[in-house]
Amino acid sequence: MKHIQTLSTRSLQESMKKGGCGECQTSCQSACKTSCTVGNQVCEQLKKN
Amino acid sequence: MIHQYQNNGFNIVLDVDSGSIHLVDGLSYQLIADLDKDRTLSDDTLVGEYEEKYPESEIRESLSEIHSLEKAGQLFTEDIYKNAVIDFKARPTVVKALCLNVAHDCNLACKYCFADEGSYNGGPKGLMSYEVGKQALDFLVAHSGHRHNLEVDFFGGEPLMDWAVVRKLVAYGRSIEKEKDKHFRFTITTNGVLLNDEIMDFCNREMDNVVMSLDGRKEVHDHMRPFPSGKGSYDLIIPKFQKFAAQRKALGLQYYIRGTYTHYNLDFAQDVIHYADLGFDQLSMEPVVAPQSADYAIRPEDIPVLKEQYDILAKEMIRRQKEGRGFTFFHFMIDLTGGPCVYKRLSGCGSGTEYLGVTPWGDLYPCHQFVGNQKFLLGSVFDGIRRTDIVDEFKCCNVYSRKECSSCFARYYCSGGCAANSYNFHGRIDDVYEIGCELERKRVETAIMIKAALAKEN
Ligand code: SF4
Ligand code: SF4
Ligand code: SF4
Repeated sequence: MKHIQTLSTRSLQESMKKGGCGECQTSCQSACKTSCTVGNQVCEQLKKN
Repeated sequence: MIHQYQNNGFNIVLDVDSGSIHLVDGLSYQLIADLDKDRTLSDDTLVGEYEEKYPESEIRESLSEIHSLEKAGQLFTEDIYKNAVIDFKARPTVVKALCLNVAHDCNLACKYCFADEGSYNGGPKGLMSYEVGKQALDFLVAHSGHRHNLEVDFFGGEPLMDWAVVRKLVAYGRSIEKEKDKHFRFTITTNGVLLNDEIMDFCNREMDNVVMSLDGRKEVHDHMRPFPSGKGSYDLIIPKFQKFAAQRKALGLQYYIRGTYTHYNLDFAQDVIHYADLGFDQLSMEPVVAPQSADYAIRPEDIPVLKEQYDILAKEMIRRQKEGRGFTFFHFMIDLTGGPCVYKRLSGCGSGTEYLGVTPWGDLYPCHQFVGNQKFLLGSVFDGIRRTDIVDEFKCCNVYSRKECSSCFARYYCSGGCAANSYNFHGRIDDVYEIGCELERKRVETAIMIKAALAKEN
């Protein structure tokens, strides 16, 4: 496309179908301890594939 | 829902509910904004509106791109998750992570410490015994259901003050992994004062992550993180942290240099850059969590300055990345393709349900920030959770329980904010902390801009 460049992202709608397994880290824990960011976490399911 | 913003020369359009991110030209930016306001606008109307500024063919081309993204479910999507997927209250939860406060004591006297130098709300000082720690690990295994990976953070106070017990607990954890079919991921957070070679070696073998507390430039660090005598701790810890970080880097292991910024270093980007100049490359710096009455607390009028700092930091990161000496900054890390599923993004931070804080005596709290507040005492590792009513309240803390989050573009990145912050400011756990939100939104915007800038490079 000429006017719009779309970055590749994980589709949230698609992630509904296969998700929620709970294997990933809890969010506060990973580095910060006063945090609320989940966008930077890694999905354990995708990591496996 | 659409969120549009301009940063560092980029026109960025987030299609919030699908997670799509578009970089657009000026014309498309305006067209999308118009359509977002009124979806019934026809192509002809929009052509009429812009033909003085742009050739008709360009406008029609842009509109056709917009329509095709819409058809592909990447633009103007709706929140389809709210009713369809999650019954938060009924959702079964397992405990998957514990914050073990092995030491309610500290060898520094940091001014903003939420743990009150280890005493947590003026409680008694003390170290966790091996028996309590072992019971905590057993409790975690017993309440973790089918979850394979279990996270345990050694925290405090200063956990190295109880190092002998930490070592034994790691050994105990490893000894039961096979039989219980679990894997422990250990993390330790330290101020560095007691770090030595033996500890570094052990951590390099056993700890998934090591968090080293450093606040930045010497004068900033020493002002907020002195010894009880008033002397600064910077000179003592820097060489140890440098050695430790270099070892972990060489081994491909995770670590973080983690700091807190306060009203006293509003130019905190310089502190993060200082970390990088010291040779560290996995960095984190957070706004202090403090009551509004504290002199070092972030004030509403600080926000514009702080936002600018994130921009300064982002530009420096992009520059260094291009020069091949990049570093990561925790709050700018967004995994666009490998990030969490929507359940995870909506279900809050996990405090009080999946993640619990444990005192040296084995008492359980919803997370480390609640430790010592009797109102939130949930039970203990010996007799389990007694206050299931409190756990239920935390279960219901998620993006949809907070009014502000429903209309916030950052909700799938932020997950609804910090319950402890909300409690500190509003006396309830399901509200939002506005200053935190302003900064969180800025960080999400900036993180995405960085992705855009690096994508354009390639
Ligand atoms: S591991 Fe992935 S799929 Fe499972 S809950 Fe976490 S983000 Fe969702
Ligand atoms: S930034 Fe604030 S309003 Fe937005 S999702 Fe996070 S907690 Fe909610
Ligand atoms: S309540 Fe706040 S501090 Fe506690 S785990 Fe959640 S995000 Fe972290």
